[in-house]
Amino acid sequence: MPNMKASLQRTLWISRVTFLEAVRQRFFAFLLVLSAAMVLSSVSFRVFDFGHGELKFIADFGFGGMFFFGSVLAVVMTAQLFFSEMDNKTALTLLAKPLSRTEFLLGKFCGAWAVLGVFVIVLASLLGLVLWAREAELIALAEQSGKIPATFSAAGLAEFVLLQWLRLGVVTAIVLAISALARTFLFAVVVGSLAVVAGQLQWIAQDAVLKPSDSLLYEGFLWVSCRLIPNLQQFNIGDALVLGSAGVAPGAVAEVALSGLLYVTAYLCVGSLVFRRREI
Amino acid sequence: MSSAISVRHLTKDFRIGIRGLKLRAVDDLSLEIPRGQVYGLLGPNGCGKSTTLKIVLGLVSATAGEISILGHPSATSAARRRTGFLPEAPYFHKFLTGRELVRYCAQLSGVAADSVGAAVEDALGLAAMTEAADRPIGTYSKGMLQRIGFAQAVVHDPELVILDEPTAGVDPVGSAAIGRMIHTMRDKGKTIVLCSHLLGQVEQVCDRVAIMDRGKLVLEGAVDDVLARRDRHVMTVEAMTPAARDAAEAALAAHGAKVTSVTHPRRSLEDLFRELVTGSRDA
Ligand SMILES: Nc1ncnc2c1ncn2[C@@H]1O[C@H](COP(=O)(O)OP(=O)(O)OP(=O)(O)O)[C@@H](O)[C@H]1O
Ligand SMILES: [Mg+2]
Repeated sequence: MPNMKASLQRTLWISRVTFLEAVRQRFFAFLLVLSAAMVLSSVSFRVFDFGHGELKFIADFGFGGMFFFGSVLAVVMTAQLFFSEMDNKTALTLLAKPLSRTEFLLGKFCGAWAVLGVFVIVLASLLGLVLWAREAELIALAEQSGKIPATFSAAGLAEFVLLQWLRLGVVTAIVLAISALARTFLFAVVVGSLAVVAGQLQWIAQDAVLKPSDSLLYEGFLWVSCRLIPNLQQFNIGDALVLGSAGVAPGAVAEVALSGLLYVTAYLCVGSLVFRRREI
Repeated sequence: MSSAISVRHLTKDFRIGIRGLKLRAVDDLSLEIPRGQVYGLLGPNGCGKSTTLKIVLGLVSATAGEISILGHPSATSAARRRTGFLPEAPYFHKFLTGRELVRYCAQLSGVAADSVGAAVEDALGLAAMTEAADRPIGTYSKGMLQRIGFAQAVVHDPELVILDEPTAGVDPVGSAAIGRMIHTMRDKGKTIVLCSHLLGQVEQVCDRVAIMDRGKLVLEGAVDDVLARRDRHVMTVEAMTPAARDAAEAALAAHGAKVTSVTHPRRSLEDLFRELVTGSRDA
């Protein structure tokens, strides 16, 4: 397997330089600071019912910010990292080396995904800190008033981080597949954003599939769009995990994670097939 | 042994615009580039030189025709491991330093982990970039970009080096230095293919040339054969008086030879420039 090892090595080098490029850009730092400020600002939220409602509010707010800014980062940064190589013709130098196009694309993916991992971990740690501090306060209050507040679970938060990271991985893979086909950065960003929105709304199509309809064409369209577009909502078992309120079915996390990985693999395969035919 | 590069009946059409108008960049081109020589590919802007090189390297697909490179039927990864490429108007990851870039390229080109360090220093030395190697590439001048590009192209000790306009934007002293680097490579038995618009330099550096026009090959051959006019002779004479000139012409006429022109030899602007200027600050 020396070939396999060399190939992995090359992918790793590409992703290392991609990671470096992303981290040395201002855009990443800017979004990170912005979303960190947003999570931290939730400290000031005070909801009246002192209990589960408040922690849930903080958590939802944090998850929302993480998802929104994470998606922006995944779409814009990934497309940017890809097109900076194309437009600056650095891809010309790299692809003239003994490097396959698949390795190049995979390297870009891993680099961008690693950046998103840093993003998710930093934000989740801040969110955990806020939740933990507020929970301690609420418990002290509850002891006085006799109510029992919801407690948050750090292990649940860790699982949640993993799922968010996978969700952003799916978005990154989609954007790379689109970029491999697209001529311009703008096109990739616009179509990538549309794909994220479609992924958020995919459950509507999924619901519709279950209802019988008399038009075969319509059913076919729904069926295809359900398979083609991943359901990004399914990663949203955040507050169930973190606050342990509604029970999460034992296999649910693994199932969602598996489907996420399958989508990542599928989109990367499509992307590299398209990219192989691209003229640099 | 097979030629370094062989191109047979190569044609490339680019589709431009939504209506898919075809633009023929390379038109039925056939070339054999022998090993161990410096080969110059010349031609006006847009005649298809860069496109031909990109097709040879597998970066662009051919519409018709065949290529082979170092005996491989296409630019497989094994062939590219033995090839170095400097693209035209090179632009590298500007957030890396020169040394980081050359190291990155060495790793991607499959230089063994324990010899990467030495290979990087050798290549930087050959390109005279050791001093500036720790500066970010974003701060490099055009000449330095070309030289760091040369370093990344030769860092894995390739058998075949393809240079697309290595001297564009480089001052005469710098391009003479690049000419010497090319000769160093050739003396080690490498094959070098280069495109350039500096005909004077091509004449000095290359062993063979091909001239393209509108995607077609118009002339190919060894530089000496192509340029020598074997029916004419040049003599350089010192301290010639009019009387001496008349006597010489009469003597030549007695043998049926005829003097068609008498001029003063000129030195080239390049020689003058190199005599007066010591070198660029980057060098
Ligand atoms: N990606 C592309 N799409 C469409 N047309 C292209 C593309 N690349 C090159 N061409 C066209 O192909 C022709 C040949 O271009 P090429 O870059 O090979 O020329 P060249 O000989 O290298 O010129 P120069 O000396 O200016 O570098 C040109 O007319 C150019 O406009
Ligand atoms: Mg060119």
